[in-house]
Amino acid sequence: MIKAVEVKNLSKSYGNVQAVAGIDFEVGEKEIFALIGPNGAGKSTTLKILATILKPTDGEVFVYGKDVQKEPEKVRKLVSYLPEEAGAYKNLKGTDYLKFMAKFYAQSEKELGEFIERAKDIADLGTRLNEKAGTYSKGMTRKLLLARALMTKPDLTILDEPTSGLDVINALEVREIVKRFAREGISVLLSSHNMLEIEFLSDRVALIDKGLILDTGTSEGLKEKYKARNLEEVFRSAL
Amino acid sequence: MNKFLNLLFKEVKELITLQLLISLLFTIFLFYFIGQMAKTEMKKAMRTQKIAVLNLDDSPFSEQLIGNLKTANFQAEMVKGLDKQKAIDDTKATDTNLLLVIPQGFGQSLETQEVKEIETYSYLRTFSLVGSRSSIIINAVIRALNEYLSNDFIKKKIPDFSPEKVKNPIKSRDFIIVKDRMAEGKPEAVAGFVSSQSLFVPVILAMIIIYASQMVISAIAMEKQNKTLETLLTVPISRTSIVTAKMFASGLVGLVSAVIYMFGFRYYMAGFMGDISQAAAASGVSGVMQKLGLTMDTRGFLILGVSLFIAILVALALATILGVLAEDYRSAQSLLMPLLFLVMIPYFISIFSDPKTLSLPAKILLYAIPFSHPFLITQNLYLENYSAVLYGILYMLAVFVILILVAARIFSTDKVLTMKLKFRKKKVML
Repeated sequence: MIKAVEVKNLSKSYGNVQAVAGIDFEVGEKEIFALIGPNGAGKSTTLKILATILKPTDGEVFVYGKDVQKEPEKVRKLVSYLPEEAGAYKNLKGTDYLKFMAKFYAQSEKELGEFIERAKDIADLGTRLNEKAGTYSKGMTRKLLLARALMTKPDLTILDEPTSGLDVINALEVREIVKRFAREGISVLLSSHNMLEIEFLSDRVALIDKGLILDTGTSEGLKEKYKARNLEEVFRSAL
Repeated sequence: MNKFLNLLFKEVKELITLQLLISLLFTIFLFYFIGQMAKTEMKKAMRTQKIAVLNLDDSPFSEQLIGNLKTANFQAEMVKGLDKQKAIDDTKATDTNLLLVIPQGFGQSLETQEVKEIETYSYLRTFSLVGSRSSIIINAVIRALNEYLSNDFIKKKIPDFSPEKVKNPIKSRDFIIVKDRMAEGKPEAVAGFVSSQSLFVPVILAMIIIYASQMVISAIAMEKQNKTLETLLTVPISRTSIVTAKMFASGLVGLVSAVIYMFGFRYYMAGFMGDISQAAAASGVSGVMQKLGLTMDTRGFLILGVSLFIAILVALALATILGVLAEDYRSAQSLLMPLLFLVMIPYFISIFSDPKTLSLPAKILLYAIPFSHPFLITQNLYLENYSAVLYGILYMLAVFVILILVAARIFSTDKVLTMKLKFRKKKVML
């Protein structure tokens, strides 16, 4: 079985603060894998290491067999990352932003066109895409950024709180889009506080707290194991 | 498409904002406006000036004095009557700014070699630069008249002697030696001309360095503030390319901005000083400069250009590192301060002092600052101190290489996100 992600004994410290304390997990190809946990659990740090932004203090991380420390540029070609707190260039129009980002991945003009068309479809912002990103609401920016993350159909998409700042309707749309792209062959690694979202989206989840993974499994499996009605109860029991 | 060019265009687009364009246009307009205003005022001052004259003496000497005023571009308006106080009051009511009172017995006293005072009353209706110009000119007229009268007196008393020889029995011929070349001329005129020419180099350099550095610090700080840096760091392009694109774009926009500002500054200066090269040609200084080899040839300009370019690169590399320390746009502005000091110290020393006369620690400090070298380059080129020029360029190059390696290193590690100045509590997003 091809592994999209392999994390072995990963730890990360910021000075005296231990953000991740030796975790192991794997994400299969075309799988939607979620990290759930409270603020400060180490979710964002783990995702940032996978996205090659941060370097691990210890341990090994592979994306489709590529070592994030030794081959970061190869990993970046496979991965698309949506940070929890992200923005677009305020001085660029929505379309120009998408074009700018697509040019890093497109191999030809034809492919560039395809990426942009796909992004327009995902963002669903209509003519607002011709306006500067600085004029967008938080929700519109989030949709633009999600479109940017998915337009290239990367091998692995890392989504940190994908529906952060979105209203109920937009959040539902985003979940549908993520699900659709996973069905089309993209592996997804995401984090969220929203347990309902995780239940709806993910194939498997890892419960993470204080830099440690408490348990891993499918939503149904975990609920059965902890005799819980939902993931919130699972999490409380696992602590 | 080339990924680097894609990034470079984006950086340029991000930097050229409406605010920047408005600020550039406004500054040029302001410089141009002030320059034009100064030029107009200067022209006004050079135009025929009205002068009220109360002639209480009716001798040929007083008539001659009034005649000389006319040749000095004054339009003499004779005040009627013999009352001085009334003349002062009457002139106050007009737009004439100067009243000349020639006292009774003026001509006679000149004939008997008695010192007689004429009185001038300046109506200071404005404190502008040209406000006191009339009285300066009239003093020059009086000096010329004194010269004429004393010469006339000597001629009459000692007809066989030239008045010039009597008054100035010793004359001097001034020679200037630079390296192995010598020319006849006044050293103060040459030194003044060289420093006025050299003045522009530090001004241009200081402006370019400050503008370009501000651009690159802000560009990095804005990436952090707008939360775009993390995304940018995950795209498939090398970190060195990200750093270089930011530096190139900032350097380019900073350079263009500085050139535009200098264009406006030239208008501003021209308003006050006129064309320096024309003035030099008129005074004969340029001929002396050529004889002394104090002219910049193509090679000199090329070396100057290389030095300026490397100094800009050093500033950009340093600004890149400082930009990483900034959390947002506001803190980026504070981080510009150390760079400003590094530019201003050699700037003022190069204008007001001679580095050779500094104490050893001050000299070490001056030469350790990379920006000192381009500030001193014009004088070194004029004086053919090529070794100093070469060492300066090599030193700046070495500093640039070290700084760019440090900058690239910072960008290739997670320090680009976690490095901050210690004046704030370190925030870590887990």
